[in-house]
Amino acid sequence: MSSITGHEPVTGMNRLANVVAVIGLLPILLVVIVALLVIFEPRFLGIFNVFNVLRSASFLAILAAGQMLVLIVGGFDLSVGAVIALASTVMAKVMAALMQTMPDQVGVVILLGVLAGLACGAGIGLINGLCVAFLRISPFMVTLGTLSIASGIALLLTNGIPVYGMPDEFVKGFGRALWFGLPTTVYVALALIVLVWVIQNHTVLGRYIYAIGGNLQAALVSGVATKSYLVTAYTLCGILAATTGVLLTARLGSGQATLGGNIMMLQSIAAAVIAGVSLRGGIGRVEMVALGALFLSIITNAMNLLRIDSKVQTIVLGVIVILAVALDEFGRRRQIRD
Amino acid sequence: MTETTAPVAAGEERPSLRQYVIRALMPIVLVAMALGFAAVEPRILSPGNLVNILSQSSYLAIFATAQMVVILTRGFDLSLGMCVSGVSVLTALIMTSTLGKDPATLSLAMGLAVLAGLGFGAAVGLVNGFSIAVLRVNPFIATLGTLNICFGIASTISDGRPVFGVPREFSTLVYSGELAGIPIPIVLSAIILVIIHLVLHRTVVGRSFFILGSNPRAAMIAGLPSRRYLIYAYIICGILAAIGAMLLTARTGSGEPNLGGNLTLESIAAAVIGGVSLRGGIGGVPAALLGTIFVTVLSNGMNLTRVDGYIQMIVLGCVIIAAIFVDRIRATRG
Repeated sequence: MSSITGHEPVTGMNRLANVVAVIGLLPILLVVIVALLVIFEPRFLGIFNVFNVLRSASFLAILAAGQMLVLIVGGFDLSVGAVIALASTVMAKVMAALMQTMPDQVGVVILLGVLAGLACGAGIGLINGLCVAFLRISPFMVTLGTLSIASGIALLLTNGIPVYGMPDEFVKGFGRALWFGLPTTVYVALALIVLVWVIQNHTVLGRYIYAIGGNLQAALVSGVATKSYLVTAYTLCGILAATTGVLLTARLGSGQATLGGNIMMLQSIAAAVIAGVSLRGGIGRVEMVALGALFLSIITNAMNLLRIDSKVQTIVLGVIVILAVALDEFGRRRQIRD
Repeated sequence: MTETTAPVAAGEERPSLRQYVIRALMPIVLVAMALGFAAVEPRILSPGNLVNILSQSSYLAIFATAQMVVILTRGFDLSLGMCVSGVSVLTALIMTSTLGKDPATLSLAMGLAVLAGLGFGAAVGLVNGFSIAVLRVNPFIATLGTLNICFGIASTISDGRPVFGVPREFSTLVYSGELAGIPIPIVLSAIILVIIHLVLHRTVVGRSFFILGSNPRAAMIAGLPSRRYLIYAYIICGILAAIGAMLLTARTGSGEPNLGGNLTLESIAAAVIGGVSLRGGIGGVPAALLGTIFVTVLSNGMNLTRVDGYIQMIVLGCVIIAAIFVDRIRATRG
């Protein structure tokens, strides 16, 4: 509009809209909500509460970072929740079994267990990627299939019973421990976010992932090996989901087939989408996704502190997600018009 | 892919034997699967079990059809399962509370409950359609939002517990009754499927769903009121979900807040296995029905041959992927 009318008077609304456009809505909202909580709800700043928020935000951020990679290539991963469950049960099973055979080599036990868990994620991610890239099946259906397969295997392995017997060094020494006054999970999440950021901004892989999602045909014509990069994106997503599973399991102290589930899968997509990741592909930044995860965790925590019924909470989350995307779409159309 | 196959389809050339085989692949696989199960467990082909399979299919067929209508327009409805839960709880609550005041008002209670259930389904569909068509929110996110909202409503009004006391007359009417020897759910389901089939092929609104899915730009340029029609598609989906929900409520005899749990994914799987394309524009009632029967026969067969429930999940996952792959081959070479 402004291009037609020339110099539009700079009203307060316009200036506000410009500020929002530059910084983005999410960080502003985040600051406002934290400020309100600090003023009106002193328990929010309690040390245990802060730890809780940071922990759940870390789990979600890792998962959502993986989901983001797949969303950027124009896909979807419905299987991440089931991958969490599979990684959790397999890792716990492997650790418990190895503890029986070589109880004096705890380091090796932990290493092999974690690797087994991550391998599950890589395996499921690889299957997803191969089906999407080579069989050209819709990502929605492939990952729906692997969701069913992964949770079926996890349930079959455990019969739905939690798996105990992981070494104390892993549970107490890592999962529930603090490093320099913060939960260990937070450091792992930060490291992974930085890693994904580096991949996105400073590697060929990251640039090609954007290129494939932005315009598959153009990427193909430019000689990008689209198929192998698609497979890589899905595999990375699987590994990140498995990492979330490993961290959750270390915190809980047992491997559970009910971990993750559809709720975490939906949350991971919600966190990514709130952070401006486009479901059409090609757009998304991991630092924003981490903020999106933090935002969802803080909102959930705030509602818990305000004793809002958990059933009402789901309604609120649903409304927030729809509004966030509607606002995003509105902003994009406004930009196009300008 | 359609561009490359279009000239062949339009040409004089008759479809080759191979193309016939590819087109009939899913029905062939279905029959082969049924025979395979029958080889292990002959009871599977007994008349009693066949009627059983049909009755079981009648519910999923309605949900798969609902899902098919919106998939035609390039969308899908993740909220379907939770909408089913909401309708189930709501109708049960209305029936029990109306009857509680005056037991003589049976038909009034049932009428009110059915109206409220249909209204709930239509409202969910309207919200979905409005978000998608007017606010332009991606269907995945819009229906993910209403999924959460419906879950919240269903568990709030029921307190998370089943609502007992659904009058037996309601169950007799739409579950255990028979019409000319055929179980009522099969009859109702058949009527609904025929109506939707006619709507899709004989009305302007129905036909435009196909265009909205296969080429939304063309639909807009041709002057179709795309937004309004998209909203209609989601409302139809919501109403169908509500009808299915009430039939299920009659079957269980109680309003269940967890009724819809897996229905969303099952209904999408059934529709897509039957050949409804997630890219929009391709599908119909026969496809939804075929997929439904396929899924039902598979799970019925595995139950009767005593396959472990967890293994069934794994098999279903593999079947979904395989079926979509087969569908792709059919789409490109058929």
